[in-house]
Amino acid sequence: MEQKLVPYYRIVEKRQRTLRGIMVVFFIVVQIVWIGLPMLMAVFWSLVNPDHPWSYPQVFPSHLSLAQWDYVFKFTNIIRALGTSYSIAPLATIFTFLLALPTAYVLGRRRFQGREAIKILILLPIIMPGMVTALFLSRVFSFIGLDQNFFGLVLAHSLMGMPYMLRILTTSFEAIPQDIIDAAENLGATSFVKFKEIFIPMVLPGLFAGTIFTFITSLEEFSLTFVIGTPTFETIPTILFSFLGYHFIRTNAAVVSLILMIPNIAMLFVAERFLKTEYLAAAFGKM
Amino acid sequence: MPTKNRLSTLLLLLPGAGFIFLFLAAAIFMTVLQSLGFFSLTQESRFTFDYWRNLFDRQVIDSFLFSLKVGVGSSFGTLLFSYPLALFMRKKFFGRKPLGSMLKIPLFVPALVAAFLIINLIAYHGMLNHILMALGIIKEPLRMLRDKFGWVVLFIQIWKNLPFQLLIISASLETIQTDIEDAARNLGANKLALVRYIIFPLSIPGILVAVILVFIKTFGDFAITSVAGPIYPVSISVRMYAAANMFQEWNRAAGIGVVIIVTALLFVWLYSRLAKMMQGQK
Repeated sequence: MEQKLVPYYRIVEKRQRTLRGIMVVFFIVVQIVWIGLPMLMAVFWSLVNPDHPWSYPQVFPSHLSLAQWDYVFKFTNIIRALGTSYSIAPLATIFTFLLALPTAYVLGRRRFQGREAIKILILLPIIMPGMVTALFLSRVFSFIGLDQNFFGLVLAHSLMGMPYMLRILTTSFEAIPQDIIDAAENLGATSFVKFKEIFIPMVLPGLFAGTIFTFITSLEEFSLTFVIGTPTFETIPTILFSFLGYHFIRTNAAVVSLILMIPNIAMLFVAERFLKTEYLAAAFGKM
Repeated sequence: MPTKNRLSTLLLLLPGAGFIFLFLAAAIFMTVLQSLGFFSLTQESRFTFDYWRNLFDRQVIDSFLFSLKVGVGSSFGTLLFSYPLALFMRKKFFGRKPLGSMLKIPLFVPALVAAFLIINLIAYHGMLNHILMALGIIKEPLRMLRDKFGWVVLFIQIWKNLPFQLLIISASLETIQTDIEDAARNLGANKLALVRYIIFPLSIPGILVAVILVFIKTFGDFAITSVAGPIYPVSISVRMYAAANMFQEWNRAAGIGVVIIVTALLFVWLYSRLAKMMQGQK
């Protein structure tokens, strides 16, 4: 008798809630293993004490020290690479933004023939496999004297970031309702006022997302830098490649990996409040 | 559109689209010409099909097939994880936001770092071996690095590309209107039928984009395969790079480059045909 007091749908609801709770816990555990464990291993490797090597069958290193960090900063070119990476990235981002703004405006606000084709054309740097672009752009660059050249690297990084900036800005311009612009025009707004009061504020979140993606693309860029820049210029990824390739030194690679990765992840979490990664989905959801 | 307007449209398009077009057209032009014997660095430049005739030897074919395998394997392998995850993430539940943020992390981890992280995990005394041994599945650590098939490469690529696919598929799932779902449910569709007949067909465009973008990225990959891939065959990009920079056979490298570009474009074309077909069906 008593059981009938609880409607059936309540029981189902409760069962579903428990099931979902179990699923969530399961997913969080998987997440910790899937994301957390690899990161933890890298942190441990970067803290290995050179006097007490970490070898099989130890699960974790027995002694920790900052000696590896010390070594990497003292005896490798990491400081210069950091300087190169972090001077190319902002320059490339600004350059990309300046070039992308007018094009994104036209692609987002005007309808003309060949618009769809151009929207695909601007994806070319992503569609073309990086190493092919790198090798043969380097041939082109060496003809015009941009090989092994800082400005050449900024240009190359801008090229790789351009699709992100253009696509995301275009989506933002497209999203502005025409009514608002019409209303402003009715009220006598000039082009300048329209830009200042409508376009800029409404495009700002997209601009922010585009900037972050371009910046990160530049920090991560490997193929073009490797072919056009080395040996004159080293960035953090090319240094990491040398530690992972010919001279495989796990501890050094761990330090450089963390140097490369931590700012990116920090950016993700700081930016999460303003930046919706959904912009990326909106910009690339349709090719 | 008035002529003046058309002119200004063109001028405004130039900085962004023109920049991309200029440099990529130059690079593609250079690739094609070099594969035909022009701009030769070591030999006399002349028009010839010799490089094309000798291009497809055992090594190049093996590398091409390997890269194709990695591309198809990574794009569909990632889908295997990203699609159920995207379905799961549609629901509102406690802890969805932090979980979503965590899931996005690999998107911001550079490819080389991702390779390093996974290498650590599966190395001879990596965590995976410890866990497998603790569970009593194996007696002795396995040597899994640089395996012949390329499982490690697939593992790294799936780890790295999962959030990207998840984002795109989630966005395409969000556009499905709840009315349709409600209607189906009213008509007595259970969960499986809902996914099978409503959600899945409607999310195919998103799936196509997610798969094609990951395919292109992984097919042309250089860095990950060269640090974690098998000794032989190397990926097609590594083969091309070696031809150019180790053996100074730039014309041969250009031939391989053309093959890579054509393959990538072929898949994009295939995608657009499929996408059009889907639209036609609706």
